[in-house]
Amino acid sequence: MSQLVLDKATIKFGGLTAVNQVCFELEQGMIFGLIGPNGAGKTTCFNLITGLYKPTSGSITFDGHDLSQYPTYQIAALGISRTFQNIRLFGSLTVLENVMLGTYLRKESSLASALLHGGRSIGDTSRKREFATNLLNVLGLGDLLHVRSRDLPYGKQRRVEIARAMATNPKLLLLDEPAAGMNPQEKVALMEDVKRLRNEFGKTILVIEHDMKFVMNLCEQIVVLDHGEEIARGLPAEVKANPKVIAAYLGE
Amino acid sequence: MVASPPVSKSNPVAKSLVSGILSAVGCVALAFLVQYISGQFLSSYANGLVFQAATFVTLAVSLNIVNGITGQFSIGHYAFFQIGAYTTGALSLLFWKKFQGAANVPMQEDIWIVLMMFFGIITSAFAGWIVGLPSLRLRGDYLAIVTLGFGEIIRISAENFTFMGGATGTKIAPEKTVVWLAWLLAFAAIGLSRNLLKSVHGLAFLSVREDEIAATAMGVNITRTKVAAFVIGSAFAGAAGVLYAHQQTFISPDLFKMDGSFIVLTMVIFGGTGSITGSALAGASLFYLPEALRELPPVPFASLVGIVLGLIATIGALKRYSDQSHAKTSVKAATMIGIIVVGIVFMAILGKLLSFVPSISAHAPIQGSQLRLVVFAVTLIVLMLFRPQGVFAHHEFSWKWLRSVLARVLPKQKEGLSS
Ligand SMILES: Nc1ncnc2c1ncn2[C@@H]1O[C@H](COP(=O)(O)OP(=O)(O)OP(=O)(O)O)[C@@H](O)[C@H]1O
Ligand SMILES: [Mg+2]
Repeated sequence: MSQLVLDKATIKFGGLTAVNQVCFELEQGMIFGLIGPNGAGKTTCFNLITGLYKPTSGSITFDGHDLSQYPTYQIAALGISRTFQNIRLFGSLTVLENVMLGTYLRKESSLASALLHGGRSIGDTSRKREFATNLLNVLGLGDLLHVRSRDLPYGKQRRVEIARAMATNPKLLLLDEPAAGMNPQEKVALMEDVKRLRNEFGKTILVIEHDMKFVMNLCEQIVVLDHGEEIARGLPAEVKANPKVIAAYLGE
Repeated sequence: MVASPPVSKSNPVAKSLVSGILSAVGCVALAFLVQYISGQFLSSYANGLVFQAATFVTLAVSLNIVNGITGQFSIGHYAFFQIGAYTTGALSLLFWKKFQGAANVPMQEDIWIVLMMFFGIITSAFAGWIVGLPSLRLRGDYLAIVTLGFGEIIRISAENFTFMGGATGTKIAPEKTVVWLAWLLAFAAIGLSRNLLKSVHGLAFLSVREDEIAATAMGVNITRTKVAAFVIGSAFAGAAGVLYAHQQTFISPDLFKMDGSFIVLTMVIFGGTGSITGSALAGASLFYLPEALRELPPVPFASLVGIVLGLIATIGALKRYSDQSHAKTSVKAATMIGIIVVGIVFMAILGKLLSFVPSISAHAPIQGSQLRLVVFAVTLIVLMLFRPQGVFAHHEFSWKWLRSVLARVLPKQKEGLSS
């Protein structure tokens, strides 16, 4: 069964239909690409899936749950996590604190225990710190633990955002232009890491990205949007050869 | 998935229990020590100041939970303070005499006040919950206006609360300045804030301040977190209000005017929003400012206008100079002192000139106590211009922090000397 199902998902902002009758399904453990020209509605799809926007019509189902019934923070608890196109790290917190926040969903101690510095809270927090540290090491950020996230270069910030999203232990990871602002070496490293997140941790991954080389090499299936509508879907090679896609997006 | 939970060698539960008990006992002991010293060696006026210092530490540190840590711009903190005071006011009017008659025990008054703190916490926390609810939909300025309005509603309701003397107010019994409780409360506010920031829960509070959208996408229940911040913050303010009422011996709506909220807000901003120690130190020091102003002789109106205008000009000049000059630190400091001296002369001349303007010289002199808002406003403006992040910014005061600051400052001076 598909993990995520968009069924005629539609959202209108006044007169503008940003996402129009979009249908696609993601299978567990695959890497999907979502591409299209600027303003095609890709980020809006992420906002719909994570519940920041509610669809005007149509439905989005995740693991059998109708997501329109859940507020964003509960959708995160169901197992969907994301990064943001315009990075949204907690700027004045350190890298480690940003990633530790990702574990908040799996907290094992109450607010009262935290306020009283109870043993539960201490143990919980130290386990989460350990977890976040390990995760950052895995993602090659181990030497930046105590740097304020605002002070990091762009490429590193994108990585920290991925680490923070991973810390929620999601089933589905949504990456919005993860390679934007990265240099070619960073992009190669990122691609390897995204593959590892799938191979080693079994995450389903949906990536928005404008860098075609990156998308074509990484993704196993690609959905193309234009003006809020799905214009193509399929294997990278098929999508690349699709005349509609070439006309709307790839050119030449 | 990535990490297996570590097997910690020392038992954190036992360790925390021991350190928790030790620090609690330490705080109680310290609080009694302060009470003893202050009661034995200080005048009753100074003893009152020691009490008030603790009250304002509690107010500033608890507002910091809402404003600094959670980023919800609340400017009605005094309302919760007032709710605490009025809770004990009402209950004491009704039941204190009976309690006094029924339970003849040592420290009878202190016990009653502790009991009242419990009720004050409940009523003010409930009010905090009510005010916290609209904050879910409102942001920034709008929330500020709601909290401000709430403060006024509480104050005006009190004016019409005839049982408590309406606008005139009412006497409170027992009359007692409980220094040890006030300090214990301040320590508790500091300790709880610090504990919070050391936990994953604390990160959730901070994440709401930093970026609500990212926070909610990471699974933080924004609603619950904001309301919790309001409830915790107002509970402390309410408890402080209970103590304050018994210290003041007479409470009236006038005691809780809006400017009190602004003063507490100034303390939080001054200390550095988010910094617990910053708020605490600002609370313990700035509260004295209005007291000190009361001692000031009346100032002629012309001089006051001269001072304010001169101050604005001086601050503007200093800001402009410090932004644009790239001179050496020593040269810069000397020039800035020069600007200040010129500014003071300018103030004096301006004040003298203005005294020849009939409509200004006819104005009655201004009392020091009328100046408190002016002084706090000027403090805030200076702060916003020169150090918008507050004295301590988001740092906590610690010896490590002090060393790192010194390390940053000292080599600079060496450079200045050698070149
Ligand atoms: N909250 C909103 N209110 C009004 N219009 C919106 C809103 N969010 C998105 N839109 C509009 O919806 C359209 C799709 O935007 P979206 O951000 O999803 O594009 P995108 O495919 O992610 O583009 P890009 O590649 O530039 O990131 C745009 O025309 C945008 O202006
Ligand atoms: Mg986008």
